Amino acid sequence: MLNYKTSIKGDVTYSDLEIKEIKPIMKLIIRGKTKDFITAIGKNLNMVLPTEANTSTSAEQLTAFWLSPDEWMLISNETVSEESNTYQVEDELVKNISKVKLGAVTDVSDQFVMLNIKGTKVFDLFATGSPFNFNDFKTKKGIVVQTILTHIDVIIHHKEINEVNLFVRRSFSQHLHSWMSDSASRL
Amino acid sequence: MSKNLRVTTSKYIDETSRVSFKFNGKSYFGYKGDTLASALLANDIHLVGRSFKYHRPRGIMTSGSEEPNAIVQVNNNTALTEPNVRATELEIYHGLEATSQNCWPSVDFDIGGINNFLSPLLPAGFYYKTFMWPANFWEKYEYVIRHSAGLGKSPTEPDPDIYDHKYIHCDVLVIGAGISGIMAAKTAAKNNLKTLLLDEKNEIGGSTIFQNSEHVKINDQNSSAWLENEINELKNIENLEIKTRTSVAAYHGYNYLLARENLTDHLPKNEKNKKVRQRLLKIRAKKVIVATGSLERPLVFNNNDRPGIMLSSAVKKYADYYGVATGQKNIFFTNNDTAYESAISLQKKGIKVEAIIDIREKSNTAFTKEAEDLGIKVYRSHTIVNTEGYKKINKITIMELSRDGQSFASPEKIELDCDCLAIAGGWTPAVHLFTQSGGKLKFREKDQVFIPDIYPSDQISIGSSNGDFELDDLIKNSIKSLKEFLDIKETDFDNLEINCPKDNEIRTIWLLPSDKVLGKTKPFVDYQNDATAKDIKLALREGFRSIEHVKRYTTTGMGTDQGKLGNMHALGIIAETAGVKMGELGTTTFRPPYTPLTFGTIVGRNVGEYFDTFRRTPMNDWHIENKAEFENVGQWKRAWYYPKKNETMHDAVQRESKAARNSAGILDASTLGKIDIQGTDASEFLNRVYTNAWSKLAIGKCRYGLMLNEDGMVYDDGVTTRLDENHYIMTTTTGGAANVLGKLEDYLQTEWPELNVYLSSVTDHYATASICGPNSKKILNKLIPDLDLSDENFPHMSFQNAKIENIKCRIMRISFTGEHSYEINIQANYGEDLWRKCMEAGEEFNITPYGTETMHLLRAEKGFIIVGQDTDATMTPIDLQMDWIVSKKKYDFIGKRSLYRSDTMKEDRKQLVGLVTDNSTEVLEEGAQIVANINQTPVEMLGHVTSSYYSPNLNKSIALAVVRGGKNMLGQKLFIPMEDRNINVTIVDPVFFDKENVRLNA
Repeated sequence: MLNYKTSIKGDVTYSDLEIKEIKPIMKLIIRGKTKDFITAIGKNLNMVLPTEANTSTSAEQLTAFWLSPDEWMLISNETVSEESNTYQVEDELVKNISKVKLGAVTDVSDQFVMLNIKGTKVFDLFATGSPFNFNDFKTKKGIVVQTILTHIDVIIHHKEINEVNLFVRRSFSQHLHSWMSDSASRL
Repeated sequence: MSKNLRVTTSKYIDETSRVSFKFNGKSYFGYKGDTLASALLANDIHLVGRSFKYHRPRGIMTSGSEEPNAIVQVNNNTALTEPNVRATELEIYHGLEATSQNCWPSVDFDIGGINNFLSPLLPAGFYYKTFMWPANFWEKYEYVIRHSAGLGKSPTEPDPDIYDHKYIHCDVLVIGAGISGIMAAKTAAKNNLKTLLLDEKNEIGGSTIFQNSEHVKINDQNSSAWLENEINELKNIENLEIKTRTSVAAYHGYNYLLARENLTDHLPKNEKNKKVRQRLLKIRAKKVIVATGSLERPLVFNNNDRPGIMLSSAVKKYADYYGVATGQKNIFFTNNDTAYESAISLQKKGIKVEAIIDIREKSNTAFTKEAEDLGIKVYRSHTIVNTEGYKKINKITIMELSRDGQSFASPEKIELDCDCLAIAGGWTPAVHLFTQSGGKLKFREKDQVFIPDIYPSDQISIGSSNGDFELDDLIKNSIKSLKEFLDIKETDFDNLEINCPKDNEIRTIWLLPSDKVLGKTKPFVDYQNDATAKDIKLALREGFRSIEHVKRYTTTGMGTDQGKLGNMHALGIIAETAGVKMGELGTTTFRPPYTPLTFGTIVGRNVGEYFDTFRRTPMNDWHIENKAEFENVGQWKRAWYYPKKNETMHDAVQRESKAARNSAGILDASTLGKIDIQGTDASEFLNRVYTNAWSKLAIGKCRYGLMLNEDGMVYDDGVTTRLDENHYIMTTTTGGAANVLGKLEDYLQTEWPELNVYLSSVTDHYATASICGPNSKKILNKLIPDLDLSDENFPHMSFQNAKIENIKCRIMRISFTGEHSYEINIQANYGEDLWRKCMEAGEEFNITPYGTETMHLLRAEKGFIIVGQDTDATMTPIDLQMDWIVSKKKYDFIGKRSLYRSDTMKEDRKQLVGLVTDNSTEVLEEGAQIVANINQTPVEMLGHVTSSYYSPNLNKSIALAVVRGGKNMLGQKLFIPMEDRNINVTIVDPVFFDKENVRLNA
């Protein structure tokens, strides 16, 4: 079996802040413009895709983030196996979306690293490197933002109050993780 | 031994907490809460530094950020040293060491003081005049001038302090926590607006907090007591954040402001460790309330710069706030009532006030009456014509003014002894931040002030920064403005009863007359830069009219204090001399920062490993373990070469490239951009994007494509593979990936919305190991035994889906080296183990990891271009001798039209060629110019070398170059002129190795 190895070297824990990678998580980008696409996704996943900008919807096994008017990221709510990179959800969507020309399905499981960050200082940490205004964001569960943190593109999903999942491209993740650890040490 | 001039207790000074510090090597002590200035004054030290040009002794003039004179070097001769720190802002702490600047050997005896006697030779613009005559002496002058220029010393070691940045978003930002700022912050926060209140001092309250006059009351309470209650209430208000020791440095458009928060500068040395020293706040505010107050003006008269000459407001603050007497024989010199208020305060504390010199003929307010009742001698309609005392003032000479204030009523002179002269010239609203934001000022004739007029964003100015100097006006006008601005009906302050003296008449004479001719006097306007009134008048005589020109010629307002004290006087003197109105003259431009920022604050944590963002490939750890040297490619850290033992880069590259050609090499190609393209119009999309045709590319096949800009110039290149009927994966250059995706998405959204195509970046999803060389097939076969690698099933430029130990991957048989090659693309988190497995499988074939340098050499041998190295946005495909890739049949593609412009079709454009040197071991320098006739002057440059290497596989030096008309110059001899010799080269075909492609099809 090929060894599964991520870019993140350990968790970061402070009394009021914790940064932890959650892995492996299946991540798909799904894209489509038509009502038929939305309907087909609904039928296949048994969930409704969010159509309001910067929001998310969740079902038992999956969560979908609105990324643009015709683009969503779909992630598994639980970790998947390290021993395979075949996902039943992807196969179903390829069969029922891509193959029937309704839209596009792209596996981006390793394109992004998912970091779970929780604690009372989550947003203090972001304030040291992100120009985004989190004042409203931190009061709304389920909200999503695509912004930059220390010049790096990130997607942030507000999972619970004072708990977010942050998605960063794998190649930037080591730098961002190190930067966040450094910043968190001085909050 | 110095005297102790701490004459009274103050609640702002903790006399139970004694703080020792050093100034100019000598130990002193002050108390917690003292600034360096107040502590020095308490020790009877006025002489703090020397002036910039004339090295005149200078003392402490103010009590705030406007200080022009008392600037010191802190922590000299250490990595933590900092020049130009204002003693009036620096809070003392245990272990502080400060020294005077701009003096040698000491502030008491400064050799540079000779400049004061040479001042007739150093008029305004003397530096510019050295350029004029005699012209050839300029370099000699410059040597001397450069050596004497500058204030303080920069640190020579890296700054060990830690700095940080923080973004803040608020509904209302209030700048300045004086009485009007506090009222504004309370009102905003109590109306459910998220409010941030900033003040540069360590305590809030401004000057009202130490106001103790019986004549100034709010609701029958002393104004300071009333304000103290208000401050106590602020602590319980939600939505309100207060930051002290925080100075707003810049006010940009759309209410974006930068502020510096000082966090540890006031702490003892042992408490500073590992804490953030200063934080740059990046503030976005929906609304901004500027309550920055006003600055007291000095008066301009002969020798107005001696140590012991201070602003009247500063003398009052040192007494009332710090409990320090700035002198024991004080004299006030004024043109308005505020000096009386200060004098009364001092006299009541038992600090002797000898006299008040008032240039006004009369004044009859509560303050003037009280001063006289206290027995203070008042000289009305008098002015100071001279001061004496080299290192500290000890005497003034006064004369009675004429009615017009331009000469004297009688020749009689009166001499008065003093050790402190407090001067009060009126007030200037601190409109710096308002104008930085783009605000327009208007001039108020009555009291000669510029005040805010047109606001460029959602902001207001209130309080004395808006020109309301009397408490009654200040409170009432602030309430009115706040109600309108915040759209509210009432405030907590609507029914305040305010008592304060009114009718503070001011008599403004910008340059007070002297009994000597102007040329024999030194009436300083800009203290820090030693610019005098006569300098300004000289500039006007020499033809300068614009205030901006006079500023630059005389350096008025160009010091670290940006002329906060003297600019208005400069304007007044110009206006009077030139016979224009001050309002028409306007002000000089106020630029950020309001007060100087350290470089550390600007940079924040973007230092060391965080100086730049970096990207790592999935195999990065293996490269580090195997001692790879890295190079920066875009933001990526790419393995450059893998030196063994003491190998140089040249040695390593020669070894790696031989191994790749003779047996097997492996390259980490994960950095190439990868774009997943799906949709029913994907083929048509590629037809429009690339110069060649894509409709007929079979599923499972790969094709190289060139992408042009709209101008027909090569933009990017790469191999695109058809994975399925409507599914492609495009590769781009490493550095171009993000721009290509952005450009393509832009085209889809704006130019071709009719196309059903979706793009997703998968650059980071895949790790790519590229195996090349004659044994690459055998290695892949060991890795995936069940994959049919025959040429029939898996020919060059095709792809296969495969699995390695249950993990799906894609394998492309494509080559950037000219060798038989495979690129294995696997999900990134399996990338490192895939690499290790490739190394294990290739061990028997001496598989050799190679880096980007060897990759460049191998591709150059084959004449393959690198976009960005062999091209520079001026090269068409035809220039690159790649005519074959431009479809003549396609209706259109990006850049097609531009390829048929007369300029792009010219025969003598620079074209890609190969070069070989006559001396086969001589490797050309990349970027070297190429010429045909070395004797021609000026020499005609035909082109330049773009890539150059020594090829171990060809045993000779090879190079790629762009040469004007090079396509038709095969075999022609040219020259590369170098500093010490000319190198003879010959133009050859750019493909040096295996032109028939035997090896990659093998």
